[in-house]
Amino acid sequence: MRLVAAELVESRQILPGQWLQSFHAPELASGSRAGQFVHVRTGDYSGLVLRRPFSINTTDAATGIITLHFRTVGRGTEWLTRVREGERLDMLGPLGKPFEVDSRSRHLLLVAGGLGMAGVRMLADEAIRDGRQVTILFGALSANHVYPSTLLPDEVEYVVATDDGSMGHHGYVTELVSEYEAWADQAFACGPHPMLARLAQLAAGRRERLGVAKLGRKRGGGKVDPLGSAAARRKAFLQVSMEQTMGCAVGACLGCTVMGVEGPLRVCREGPVFASDEIAWPDR
Amino acid sequence: MKAKKKVVIVGDVRVSALKQNSKHKPASKGRSGPAVPATTATAGATGLRPRVETGNTAIADLGTPFVAQPTLAERAALDRIDLAVDLAPDHGGLVLRSPILVASGTFGYGVEYGEVVDVQRIGAICCKGTTRRPRAGNPPPRVTETPGGMLNSIGLQNPGVDAVIDKYGPIWQGWQVPVIVNVAGESIEDYVEVARRLDGVPGVAGIELNISCPNVGKGGLQFAIDRDAARAVTAAVRRATDLPLLVKLSPNVADVRPIAKAIEDAGADAICAINTLSGLAVSADRTHAFLGNTYGGLSGPAIKPVALRIVYEVAQVVSIPIVAIGGVTNLDDVLDFLACGAVAVQVGTAIFADPELPVRLGDELRADCLRRGLTSYHPLIGTALPKRTGAPSAKGAEYRP
Repeated sequence: MRLVAAELVESRQILPGQWLQSFHAPELASGSRAGQFVHVRTGDYSGLVLRRPFSINTTDAATGIITLHFRTVGRGTEWLTRVREGERLDMLGPLGKPFEVDSRSRHLLLVAGGLGMAGVRMLADEAIRDGRQVTILFGALSANHVYPSTLLPDEVEYVVATDDGSMGHHGYVTELVSEYEAWADQAFACGPHPMLARLAQLAAGRRERLGVAKLGRKRGGGKVDPLGSAAARRKAFLQVSMEQTMGCAVGACLGCTVMGVEGPLRVCREGPVFASDEIAWPDR
Repeated sequence: MKAKKKVVIVGDVRVSALKQNSKHKPASKGRSGPAVPATTATAGATGLRPRVETGNTAIADLGTPFVAQPTLAERAALDRIDLAVDLAPDHGGLVLRSPILVASGTFGYGVEYGEVVDVQRIGAICCKGTTRRPRAGNPPPRVTETPGGMLNSIGLQNPGVDAVIDKYGPIWQGWQVPVIVNVAGESIEDYVEVARRLDGVPGVAGIELNISCPNVGKGGLQFAIDRDAARAVTAAVRRATDLPLLVKLSPNVADVRPIAKAIEDAGADAICAINTLSGLAVSADRTHAFLGNTYGGLSGPAIKPVALRIVYEVAQVVSIPIVAIGGVTNLDDVLDFLACGAVAVQVGTAIFADPELPVRLGDELRADCLRRGLTSYHPLIGTALPKRTGAPSAKGAEYRP
């Protein structure tokens, strides 16, 4: 975690209301892992007192470039779209816990809803670099909100669902999961809360439904990794990246909590990536 | 490019400071001016160009760190400026090396920002509100931004006083920076019990009583809005502990002065003002309140005028030190609060955007004192308060020609 002056090098609108910005920030580009985020300071003069958290969309250590993908939802993000190339933004990062991929996982299923793509996008790069197979299931409102496949690595299998059926599967992206759950060794998701809750529900019943053996050797005398540890996340079938309105992003203000099964969890510190069984989902 | 420009600006502030110092005009505020020959010589020797006063520019820019790098002589002059302040002069003393504190709830337990902030250079840390038993806090969402401020309804989430002492006591003990534990409760017994447990714990420098947190949705009357309850809880805690005792006022009252006076009479060492203002935000679809707890506490620059007014009022009725809180984001805010009678300020919400601000404000206050030719910031306190009337008129009559 450090304060970095990140210079905007490119800013473009990739979808209606959605922007992709590239920043020169070598410290972040080389020191970040998929699932982590940065806390970006907005202009003082506009009366915005809080920083804005953004998932790190992609990193390129060679060029020192990181990208952020966001939607304009309020004054902070609108301000961000007006930042000009060459301007430097104050970023605090990298923050939060990253996705944990088991070294034996060959097939990764990434599920993204809308802007949730920004949460899992970097994991696709990391997984392909490590020689794993990646399928991204992506859900959006309609065809013109679908993340462009040109922005994804060629090696990725990209499956789209739209709520209105204008592209790909007609329906929710969660309906596609059953076709892939047997193939996938691990799943990673980011998106709207109901989508994550549904995925958690599916993941909870997966082992019984498929009759899969537990990954790994039966060693260690049934040692259980403590909930919330990196090892526990690595062994979980589903990891989710959560979002919450955020204050400090370092764990000081306790503003960004979500309810976990063992009490409130700070998205900024214990998360944003959680094993799905850490979270107290509303349906359970 | 920007960083370079910044250095120049900072340099200019320094130059004008030195310049003013060298042609020092005596006794503008009745204090004999500090003789700083070394600094004067440096200014002459380096031949720095005098420039127009740039004021407060060092803070304004986006996230560019303050990069003042004074020479040895300048550093010596800066080091001679006394920023120390005693928040409990009548009760054993709580001496801070800087009057810039961090406000409760915005800095956790002091460890969270450790990677990006040199916490030892802060005046004192007021830790997260601590209760007798663990509290899970309010349902999310708990924070939201509002124009010029933010609303929060954390609900006093904390692991309880015993866990706080066990976990953070040993860490605080090794720190130079005093840690003031913020104490909250639902009954006088709660407050007293927490104060008792904190009494004598190494690493705990004082207690800040939160008698005004509007977030705990218990429905009962808050201590802070009832003069007798405020007096009772302050007196009870005073009897329970020898630790320096600060009491934090709520702004959500019609007249804060009788409450402040009652707290002083009950034996508080200092008064902190103010806690958050009660507020509300509506969800995007306008079907319910945004925050999980419905109500939240408003903080940030939006509440600064309210905080100034309350500090100004309280300063005229109490004689114990006042620690101001409310929308401090730059040196001007600090100076405003000092002028209204505060002896120290707490930085809160602004930390979220600018974690280095509390440390930097100390440096800037020091530089500002040097520029004004002061050896201490104390002459800046209370300058905006109304001049006392009454008794001097008789004395004046004596000398009337």
